[in-house]
Amino acid sequence: MNRSLLRRLPSLLWLWLLWILLWSTPSPLVVLGGLLVAVAVLAVSRFPEVSRQITVRPLRLLALCVRMTGNLVVSAAAVGWAALRHGPRVRAAIVELPLDADTDLLVTLATLVTNVSPGSLVLEIDRHRGVLYVHVLLVAASGEPEEARRKLLATERRLVAALGRRPDPSTSPTSRKDDA
Amino acid sequence: MNTALDVASALLLIAGAVFCLLASVGVLRFPDAVGRQHAAAKAQTLGLLLILLGAALQNAPRYAVPLALVALFQLLTIPVTGQIVGRTAYRTSALAEESLTEDALARRLPPEERRPGQDD
Repeated sequence: MNRSLLRRLPSLLWLWLLWILLWSTPSPLVVLGGLLVAVAVLAVSRFPEVSRQITVRPLRLLALCVRMTGNLVVSAAAVGWAALRHGPRVRAAIVELPLDADTDLLVTLATLVTNVSPGSLVLEIDRHRGVLYVHVLLVAASGEPEEARRKLLATERRLVAALGRRPDPSTSPTSRKDDA
Repeated sequence: MNTALDVASALLLIAGAVFCLLASVGVLRFPDAVGRQHAAAKAQTLGLLLILLGAALQNAPRYAVPLALVALFQLLTIPVTGQIVGRTAYRTSALAEESLTEDALARRLPPEERRPGQDD
């Protein structure tokens, strides 16, 4: 019981901080009320624990964040250009993206990084087989489906390199897939 | 110093507005629901972030925190709506087929098996 409380501590602190930030005046009432609300929210909702699903590597994570910010700018420009230049005649493809990510949190994050990559939008998540189906606008940077697929795979590998869990000898291969 | 800040936030606000404009052009011109989601999810997000940044420069630092929260929740929620709309569009066969050069998902979900609420 104590250990499960400890694991929920980060969620508790985040909810508490969020409450205080939303009120933006840290009066005693707000601080105390925030703690009560955070405890109440955690008590009535059963969030799955996420802390053990990832291993954070700060430098790689930072590099990934910088790259994602750049990607967002490039993809906004690309989609804006496609809207002006091609409009109704834009070409697109749906590509299959096999994931290295094997936990719920990583699959979610993989969807997020894929969505900010230039011209791509996740249409379907096949959780059991670990495959994303991505709708790609074929513009500028990623002209052909195969090239777009290669770039998306490289981005996903970087995500796993930044946050992928270290192989844990104590867990059996069957229990590593935590299915939704 | 103040002039430099004003110029910076003016540039950010204008750039943000331009991206929002591009997003609405995309929403009008792209052929199907998923194409429109591209415009809404990318150009619109960047436009909003730039406008928030421009606004943050003009206000006291303590107002930057709520603006950062707006940015954070936008980044977290927009991909979710994009995916839900995209998934529904595919399953109701609302995609402009003639624009697709390749469709890897059709092998898993042939047109006659698509249902909006179906789960596999």
